[in-house]
Amino acid sequence: MFRYRSLRPWTYGALAVAALAAAPIADAKETKGPVTDDIGVIVIPKGAPIQIGGYWVLSGADTALGTDQKRAVEIAIKDIGGKLVGHPIKFNAEDSLCNAEGGQTAATKLAANPNTVIVIGPSCSSEATPGAPILWKAGITSIGTSPTAPALTAPDRKPEYNGFVRTAYSDIDQGANDAKYVYEVLKAKKIVTVHDGSPYAQQLATVMAANFKKLGGTVLSAEAVAPTDVDMHPLLTRVATEKPDVLYFPIFVAAAGQIIRQAADIPGLKGVRLLGSSALMAPDLIEAARDAVVGFRFTYPDVSPEAQGKGYPKFVEEYKKMFGEGPIAGYHANAYDGAQLAFKAIEKVAKTDKSGNTYIGKKALRDAVFATKFDGISGPIACDKYGECAQFKPAVYEYTNADPKTFKIGVNPKKIWP
Amino acid sequence: MTDVVASRIGLPKLSSLARFTFVDVILWALRLAVVIVVVGGTIGTLLKGRYAAAQWFDLVMFGLTIGSVYALIALGYTMVYGVLRLINFAHGDITMTGAFAGYFLASSFDRSGLLDRSPILAMAGILALAIVTSTTIAVLTERIAYRPFRHVRGFAPLICAIGVSFFLEQTFRGLFGPSIRSYPDPKWQRAAIDVLGFSVPRVDIIVIALAVVAMLVLYVIIQRTKMGTAMRAVSEDTDAAAMMGVDVNKVVVFTFALGGAMAGIAGVFYAFVFKQVYFFMGFTPGIKAFGAAVLGGIGSVPGAMIGGFFLGLVESVGPALFLDGIGIPAPYQLRDLIAFTLLIMVLIFRPHGILGERMAKKRA
Repeated sequence: MFRYRSLRPWTYGALAVAALAAAPIADAKETKGPVTDDIGVIVIPKGAPIQIGGYWVLSGADTALGTDQKRAVEIAIKDIGGKLVGHPIKFNAEDSLCNAEGGQTAATKLAANPNTVIVIGPSCSSEATPGAPILWKAGITSIGTSPTAPALTAPDRKPEYNGFVRTAYSDIDQGANDAKYVYEVLKAKKIVTVHDGSPYAQQLATVMAANFKKLGGTVLSAEAVAPTDVDMHPLLTRVATEKPDVLYFPIFVAAAGQIIRQAADIPGLKGVRLLGSSALMAPDLIEAARDAVVGFRFTYPDVSPEAQGKGYPKFVEEYKKMFGEGPIAGYHANAYDGAQLAFKAIEKVAKTDKSGNTYIGKKALRDAVFATKFDGISGPIACDKYGECAQFKPAVYEYTNADPKTFKIGVNPKKIWP
Repeated sequence: MTDVVASRIGLPKLSSLARFTFVDVILWALRLAVVIVVVGGTIGTLLKGRYAAAQWFDLVMFGLTIGSVYALIALGYTMVYGVLRLINFAHGDITMTGAFAGYFLASSFDRSGLLDRSPILAMAGILALAIVTSTTIAVLTERIAYRPFRHVRGFAPLICAIGVSFFLEQTFRGLFGPSIRSYPDPKWQRAAIDVLGFSVPRVDIIVIALAVVAMLVLYVIIQRTKMGTAMRAVSEDTDAAAMMGVDVNKVVVFTFALGGAMAGIAGVFYAFVFKQVYFFMGFTPGIKAFGAAVLGGIGSVPGAMIGGFFLGLVESVGPALFLDGIGIPAPYQLRDLIAFTLLIMVLIFRPHGILGERMAKKRA
């Protein structure tokens, strides 16, 4: 006879782990209306809105990064007439603060809404790292629009990331490109890297350093700051004692702004080239670093109109019309394509019955996202089996003016390479 | 006699040695480990000779600059705690309000050219507006949020303080947006001054000097004025002070006003050194200043000053001095760890903080 007392504590633990590992696939097979799905079916009654979730950084120093992407999704919604498979679109955007806590909270909120069909976002890898598994546990597919940490789409990613794809490239490519630029173009032989503990910065700095060493360069030290650090003087004083050719800091706006400003105060850093990366395309960086920003370079994907897809110029016009200014960061095209990917996949799998109710299978939607291919405004979109859907085109930009009002991608900062 | 000496330096009494527990052994091992790291690391770093004298001097100056800001904020924590036994968690955000108020005036002075033409007048104006704003908000906070909880025991006042903190942050976010703003960077602040043969940015000297002046003025107010005496009386024993005719409400308002003024000055100094202003900027320095207040002995005014400078110096000099010598790579990522480990160490040796015990004795 089965006696519950015969179960040891570790048995409970093992059962709990097994249950968690199996989620969301575990016995959630469901049939509603004409649709049967392995992990559940979302029903949208006739006339009810179809709910699309989104989470990006919408406050703090990196506001521009997330707001730009949220706006792109709003344009995509407008472009399809605000309706999808016969239902008006309800767009629920959350602020995920570009940190793990924010990502976790936003994802939990979106996952708690049983009507969330799909989620677009986030902007930061630190948000996606805890956020994507929470969403997938609820059977919700998410489409990252600028989290670029390699681990998110690596071949060895954990099963809880199976519901995550991204319409942005991987920093495996960004890191290799950055190392090449520093070694071959800047002719630097010794560098110091700085990360801020976020998955994005940490992984990009590591990939870049590994590639730089492979090319024959020396990494003098791998430093770290906290994203909220303001006093960089002591760190920079230490860096100056190492006499690097380049200080590479792929971090976010607030801390990067402090490094750019304060490096000018350290006599030993005169002549050391500062180089940031893809989180620093924002008017807020000019505001944060002011005069010191002029001449500052950062590596970035090539976002010049000629490097983008066909529909890009029309998109920019629409952007200006809707928001009264040009794009305020660099990943709007990826976000627009993320929204397109979501809409196309939903159109593929949604089934409507005679009374006008719509049914969407969650697993079917995930598979449709992975299978959908199209020419986006950021370039061709086609996901591999680990969820990597975009290609990387390298570039380097340089700020030319210290007035935040002059921010215009291609002008301030202007593309200087290739 | 031996026991008295032992207790004074933080050692257990000889008579209690027999009762040494496992936890005591761990604590002593921890103390020993920290002392070994500090002494060994320092010797190692100095022998390596990686940093030149000018760089050590720079590190000390950077530490004193941020330390003076911590000290100014810590004063607000310590005074309010002394009088009300309340940890005013919103104090860091009150600093933020001062920095914001100063920002608007500083930007307009910068646009009109006044900041470059008459720096002293401009700075006085910016500081005055920041002080008025922070003081007003601190006093209103006390009147609206804290006074109803004055006689409530338990966690309610603390939770209320955390609520006020959120309220201030989100209000400023709503009013002035979620993005960062940048203080102007006039040339006269960046220009270097020669101190003992080393060059130091002028803004650092100004911040340290003005912070020390502000602290001296505050100390004189507390020690020499009637209101200051009343404050000290209330912090010793509220009921006795009330019975002697001290208007406790007035004293509490005065305490919040003084703390608010110091926070306003700290906000402007912080923003002039580190430039960025946004709604969440008060949180981290607030937490650190609270640590500084505890380190110095919460409730003690000179303690808060010493605690602030100590924390600033350890943050700035500590990683290079203690960790470089023992070969730890990238020591500055352990900056907060070092600062707060030393804080814990000080509290293990002196549970009431650096100057806390003297106050306790006085009270007794």
